[in-house]
Amino acid sequence: MIAYIVRRLLSTAIVLAIVGLFVFMLLHLAPGDPAAIIAGDNATEAQIAQIRKLLGLEDALAVQFGRWGWRILQGDLGISIFSNTPVATLILQRMEPTISLAVMTMLVAVSLAIVAGVFSAARAGSAFDRLVMGFAVLGFSAPVFVVGYVLVYIFSINLRWLPVQGYKPIADGLWEWLRHLILPSIALGLAYVALIARITRASMLDVLAEDYMRTARAKGVSQPVMLMKHALKNAAVPIVTIIGIGVALLISGVVITETVFNIPGIGRLTVDAISKRDYPIIQGVILVFAGVYVAINLLVDLAYTLLDPRIRY
Amino acid sequence: MTTSRRRFTQGAIAAGAIAGAPAIGRAQTTPPVSRTIRGVMHGDLRVFDPVWTTANITSYHAHMVYDTLFGVDSKYQPQPQMVGKHGLSDDRKTYTFELRDGLKFSDGTAVTARDCVASIRRWAARDGAAQHMFARVADTPVKDDKTFQIVLKEPYGLVLDNMAKTGTNVLFVMREKEAQTDPNQQVQTIIGSGPFIFNQGAMVQGQRYVYDKNPNYNPRSEPASYSAGGKVVKVDRVVYENIADEATAIAAIKAGEIDFIEYPNVDLLDQLEGDSAITQEVLNKQGNMGWARLNFLYPPFNNVKARQAMLYTVHPSDVMKATFGNPKFFRGCGSLFGCGTPMENDANTEWFKGGQNFAKARQLLKESGYDGRPVVVLQATNVAYMNNAATLIAQWMKEAGFNVSLQASDWGGVVTRRAVKTPPDQGGWNVFFTSASVNAFGNPIGLVGHAATGEKGWFGWPSDEKHEVLRDKWAAAATDDERKAIAREMQENAWNFVPHIYYGQWFQPSALRNLKGMIGMPELVPFWNVEKTA
Repeated sequence: MIAYIVRRLLSTAIVLAIVGLFVFMLLHLAPGDPAAIIAGDNATEAQIAQIRKLLGLEDALAVQFGRWGWRILQGDLGISIFSNTPVATLILQRMEPTISLAVMTMLVAVSLAIVAGVFSAARAGSAFDRLVMGFAVLGFSAPVFVVGYVLVYIFSINLRWLPVQGYKPIADGLWEWLRHLILPSIALGLAYVALIARITRASMLDVLAEDYMRTARAKGVSQPVMLMKHALKNAAVPIVTIIGIGVALLISGVVITETVFNIPGIGRLTVDAISKRDYPIIQGVILVFAGVYVAINLLVDLAYTLLDPRIRY
Repeated sequence: MTTSRRRFTQGAIAAGAIAGAPAIGRAQTTPPVSRTIRGVMHGDLRVFDPVWTTANITSYHAHMVYDTLFGVDSKYQPQPQMVGKHGLSDDRKTYTFELRDGLKFSDGTAVTARDCVASIRRWAARDGAAQHMFARVADTPVKDDKTFQIVLKEPYGLVLDNMAKTGTNVLFVMREKEAQTDPNQQVQTIIGSGPFIFNQGAMVQGQRYVYDKNPNYNPRSEPASYSAGGKVVKVDRVVYENIADEATAIAAIKAGEIDFIEYPNVDLLDQLEGDSAITQEVLNKQGNMGWARLNFLYPPFNNVKARQAMLYTVHPSDVMKATFGNPKFFRGCGSLFGCGTPMENDANTEWFKGGQNFAKARQLLKESGYDGRPVVVLQATNVAYMNNAATLIAQWMKEAGFNVSLQASDWGGVVTRRAVKTPPDQGGWNVFFTSASVNAFGNPIGLVGHAATGEKGWFGWPSDEKHEVLRDKWAAAATDDERKAIAREMQENAWNFVPHIYYGQWFQPSALRNLKGMIGMPELVPFWNVEKTA
């Protein structure tokens, strides 16, 4: 197992190096000049050229890549071109809202979806099953921004129960933190509820059809014990896989939700950096995303061994 | 171990108290909502140094933090701000300025003449109008702690106007220490003597920028008028909230989470109707003007006839209608200096009064000897008015006989490509669209795009000797009446050689929730003089 983890970590370094090179080349070959954006619309060519020189953007691409790569090897993600703030600081500042949103969303999604999926499978073909699966289709189909605006209209503008937008750090109080996350978590979570419920149902149906489940039923094991203890554990591998992918997607892909609810998370940081051509931020964020994906994949793979003793590395 | 219901309740209450404690602690330092204005401004504040960038939002930020030596009043006249007394020598070559009493930076240190001179010199290194002026400046001696001079080589009529100007770059006074920073480097410490203090600790970059009332600020006694007069702060805090989604900003003001939106999307304004707490007000009464730059370096626009053809091709009101819908938000304008500015005039505007004329445009294009080569039109798809202008004008250009190649990117792509001087078929361009405040168009020295100095000038690189002679003459004029007469001459000449094209002037209202005292002026949203009514 330890050898496997070491191998995976080594391969991670290679993956990150390839991602780094790819992103660097892509960004610098695409049109866009941060110096021109910094200087403003009324700036002269001479002013823009001075800023370019100051930022080192006039150096050859290989020199710029070498400089960036050397910093990365030293654990330095660089400095934002616009704000002069270390990229690592900006990413850390923006991680709290994104992780909070991701955790809340997955808590809502997993708790609802697994219950819904298990009971749908147990009552396959019933009205309840059809209702849950109908909801799943709806959850997939409704765009996050539409659900978000509808929730804001009902709960923020009409009822005034919850805020329209913004994020409060947990240090500002648990309730303030929570109330700012409720609507975005629901808006974002609907699709994941649908996804996880469908996977859970399908996986459970497979397991429930197995011989050992029939035996358990014949031996008089109660329905709840049979479903939750025997079936769910054996059906868990695909469910954990989809949850892992979901968490990774959430951390890197909550741009729309963060925009609609004005949450200063990593998604907003990335989009803003792209529009400004703030290369160090874009490169840093993508490297961090790649690292998060790899780490979550590793954790999911390790979780398989806990869920299914037959799986060994 | 068992847990009784009472123990559980006690534990839950304790946990809640611990979780809530930081908020209680902070409440003592956070001003109440009734003393805080939260505004959504037109853009994200990316750079904090107003000398380093020409971005308007940085100028807004700087007006909060720094004070200026002069301000401009509602009649567009320069008025002393940090300056107490000032005078001009009989030969009109030496200006003497004396600071008023009691001026302090927010760190408590006194503002001195040395701070002012250092700030003037740093500003002059970057600003176009200041550079034009400094070509005629011999020296800027400091006479004593409160007095300094600007000594000219020859009389120059715009000294006070330049020192008072809004827009970008503005002459803000920094401490000498910061003002001595290389003008090509960003100032790292933000300390001014303005009405507010920038609260960097409360800032979330890209999200929220916080300004607290400056207790050391000593406002003038005159009533506030544009950027002149008493900058009396009537709240404890102003927060620039950066809400990227326009619908979210509208929902937030309806729910009372924010108090001000500088430019709400006009398509969403209906949603604000019927809410008695929210008013809509056009603060920038001169508005903004969209302009298309034509590349003078390459065919077809290196030929004056092809440029003149564009005058008859574009119908500004129709471009505006596509973006702003309601005619109360826009107008066409044929004046080189924008409509509503002191320099507005109607010299040589027959082309505008006659409206769109494709027959005339086709005739002029034929006379230009246009050979049908592709004309590269840059389209910024992420800025609605530029996107619409590009789409419509490209269509009209086709009708006028141009072979148009519409090339889309985001605005970041356009600002990069517009600097490329290679031929259009090798990565260059022929037309791009942008906008500027109409107030800026009213000053042919202040707006860098007014220059016709060829490749030394702004993108598009128009060239016309007579225009440059007239610009210098305008700058040297002693009175407004003289300037107006020269402005007519300039316009007469300009619409013959066609430095650029206008595609409409618009007036976007701001949304205010329970606010009174907003100073409506071009190129700045001041938050002094403003108070909350609920």
